[in-house]
Amino acid sequence: MPGEAVPFLAVRAVDAFWGDLPVLRSVSFDLEEGELLSLLGPNGSGKTTLLRCLAGLETPRRGSVRLRGTDITGWPPHRRGIGLVSQDPTLFPHRTVWENIAYGPQVRRWDAEAVASRVAELLGQLSLERFAERYPGALSGGEQQRVALARALAPRPELLLLDEPLAAVDPELRADLRAEFRELLRAQRTSAIHVTHDREEGFFLGDRVLMLFEGRVAQSGTPEAIWDRPAGRTVAAFLGYNILFRDGRPVGVRPDRLRIGPEGGPGVPARVIRSGFVGEARSIQLRLEEGGRAEVRCAREAPSIPPGRAVRLTWDEEVAIGPSAAPRP
Amino acid sequence: MRRLGAARLLPLLPLVPVLLFVLLVVLLPAGFVFGGALAGGGADRLPALFGDPLNRRALENSLEQGGASALLAGALGYPAGIALGRFSFPGRRLLRAFLLVPFLLPTLVVVVGFEELFGPAGFGPALWPALAGLGRGLDGILAVNAYFCAAMVSLTTAAAIETAPHEQEEAVRTLGGSPYRAFREVWGPPSGLGALAGMTLTFLLSALGFAAPLVVCGPGCYTLEVRIWSLAEVLGQPQEAGLLALATFLLLSLPVVGYVYLLRGSRRRRARRSRSPPPLRLRDPRAWPAIAYLSLFFGAILLLLGVVLLRSVTTVSGAPSLAGLRLLFAPATARRLGISTVAAGANSLFFASGAAILALLLAVLAAYGARSGARGAALPEYLLFLPLLISPVLLAFGLATLWRPLLGGASGTWVWILLSQAALALPFAAQTLRLALDRLPKGPWEAACLLGSRPFAAHLDAELPRLGSAVGAAALFAFAFGFGEFTATYFLVLPPFTTWPVELFDLPEIRLGAAAPALAGLLVLVSLAGFAAIEGGIRRLAR
Repeated sequence: MPGEAVPFLAVRAVDAFWGDLPVLRSVSFDLEEGELLSLLGPNGSGKTTLLRCLAGLETPRRGSVRLRGTDITGWPPHRRGIGLVSQDPTLFPHRTVWENIAYGPQVRRWDAEAVASRVAELLGQLSLERFAERYPGALSGGEQQRVALARALAPRPELLLLDEPLAAVDPELRADLRAEFRELLRAQRTSAIHVTHDREEGFFLGDRVLMLFEGRVAQSGTPEAIWDRPAGRTVAAFLGYNILFRDGRPVGVRPDRLRIGPEGGPGVPARVIRSGFVGEARSIQLRLEEGGRAEVRCAREAPSIPPGRAVRLTWDEEVAIGPSAAPRP
Repeated sequence: MRRLGAARLLPLLPLVPVLLFVLLVVLLPAGFVFGGALAGGGADRLPALFGDPLNRRALENSLEQGGASALLAGALGYPAGIALGRFSFPGRRLLRAFLLVPFLLPTLVVVVGFEELFGPAGFGPALWPALAGLGRGLDGILAVNAYFCAAMVSLTTAAAIETAPHEQEEAVRTLGGSPYRAFREVWGPPSGLGALAGMTLTFLLSALGFAAPLVVCGPGCYTLEVRIWSLAEVLGQPQEAGLLALATFLLLSLPVVGYVYLLRGSRRRRARRSRSPPPLRLRDPRAWPAIAYLSLFFGAILLLLGVVLLRSVTTVSGAPSLAGLRLLFAPATARRLGISTVAAGANSLFFASGAAILALLLAVLAAYGARSGARGAALPEYLLFLPLLISPVLLAFGLATLWRPLLGGASGTWVWILLSQAALALPFAAQTLRLALDRLPKGPWEAACLLGSRPFAAHLDAELPRLGSAVGAAALFAFAFGFGEFTATYFLVLPPFTTWPVELFDLPEIRLGAAAPALAGLLVLVSLAGFAAIEGGIRRLAR
């Protein structure tokens, strides 16, 4: 339509298959310039395939990918100007850190001064100066991922794709790195799509979150909106909500909002399977009498309940979420 | 899902030289020979071709020599392959690399070696007279073929065993499986496939044997390859030779397809890297059979090389003497051969180097094509197997009849020798590179593409530098193939372009057989020196 704003990235009705097996089914979404989008979903939901389609490493069977209004669906990867950082850093082992980061600008024939300046800038921003002359084999996993991010950012890509880049990094370092990544992407004003199955990481890094299940977009919105109003049982269960039934209608309740009461009282009947200490809280696993399972998180000082005990689960009405409250994408 | 479907035609551009080479050097000349044979009623004679007793005898000899050599090489090479693939020990890598040496030696050197070992004046009969016939007749041909190919079978077996991760065997054993069950479920099937691939290649190379039947046995043992050469070059019946070449081509297509299928099967297994196999401990009695067999196996390889080297500087009675070398480099010898030994050596070096460079370039392009995943890009790689089907004699026959009269005549012979040597080396050089490339993760190549490199440039930047050792090995293959190549070169050669292997064949023909052991010794030395130089280079590159 004349006058209508063209999205920075427009993905329309993308279908992709592995053989005859559908991996992506009519996936559509937009990305605004400078936006950080988290693509969240369980393993096998098609997140990585979608990213590879955007990068040009796979070709969708149907649908289109438009960058600034230009259809790039059939373009080879080297013409797209899209960067990718994956779980495996895929650094060039025969090049030093400096040479790895300089690779993209050199391929694009930047002049030597501009290359050196860009590499120095990124080395500084990611605290990699002292590793500049080292080879990737001499770096830790976290350092390699920082180099991979610097290498991907060096040629100033239009769009950066991050495919679970922190999945192989240990938990303590992961928290530092994701804060570092977010700051850097903000500072570079880079549009990015970040794929993860870690909801905490997805919410932290994304301005917006796109939930992908079985190759379909299940929900899209801000992290807060998705957390508060998951669209349907699948999304709610993925986010850690217990799915319980009241009057035949499903409701979602967080494990820390459920209470355990004695058998015979009000609430949903359940039976304890096991309980255990999980750090700051005690986790109690239960089998619901009407089918399915639930988890209750209570204070670590709470009395232990023996396995097999019949109990009732209750919650405050205001903390429960129901399908009627959840917006559809 | 199509991979890299967006890059449709551009990745295929680097393959154009490969396709042109195969078309102009292999397919067109062979097609020209076939066309000439079928013209003028030739096609009608094709069904009755093996009614001729000499042709039928050649077919029977090919099948007999190919089949028996494959079985013999399999029986000798499989146990060595198991020992090399399933255990680690100091020097294992070097021993594995050394297995290539017999395969790369000129056939005639091995023939000379067997003559020295088992001939009338050889070391063997002196120790045990029953060994006297081993160097001659069908036994001699099988011994020569087995010497070449047993090492190759052990190499393909060891490589195939390494595709079965040792961790899987540990899992079977810790779950209560017996060693036999581990063999049956983990390393037995791939080792069998590897051995079968090596034996199929042995069958092909032996069924098309040329030098051994020609020298060791004579007309009664001629294979199809010798019969084609004889018809084309000696008897002046090119149409009959073409018809027999076509029949050979059709007969051998089945084993060649089988060989390529087996290679594809073993390649699919090469995705995982495994830890080193368990060490071979000298004190462990269970390791003794493996140690004993490996000692015998490599002892036999070294014995023949040692005998050839020794005879090059001794008399028949064993006394030290440089008479053979003096005769080899004497001006009179040069006059009778039409070329000096030094010049023939320079020719060998020139052809082998040129063929190695050309084969390596084409192998890099073909391996890239297969790697790129673009539709149709794997085709040239399969075309490179054509020289296994289009035999050296057919290749040379085609080049000589189609191109030599059109381009350069006799003075252009050197071009056709170089091209034929490159074509024959290509399947092995390309396969060496391809296998190494399959072991590399694709991530860095994809990363280079995403950073703006064109697919071929990304291959050169991100993958080729990591293939240093494979490039070195491919170069070794191609060089050694060229240096030792006899059949096609002998068909094409004219005196100014004579090479050492051709000279080695010619020396007894001009009654200078006494110089042959000296030249065979030189060829062994060059092969060993080349092996050492490139092996050292490979180590440096691998670091």
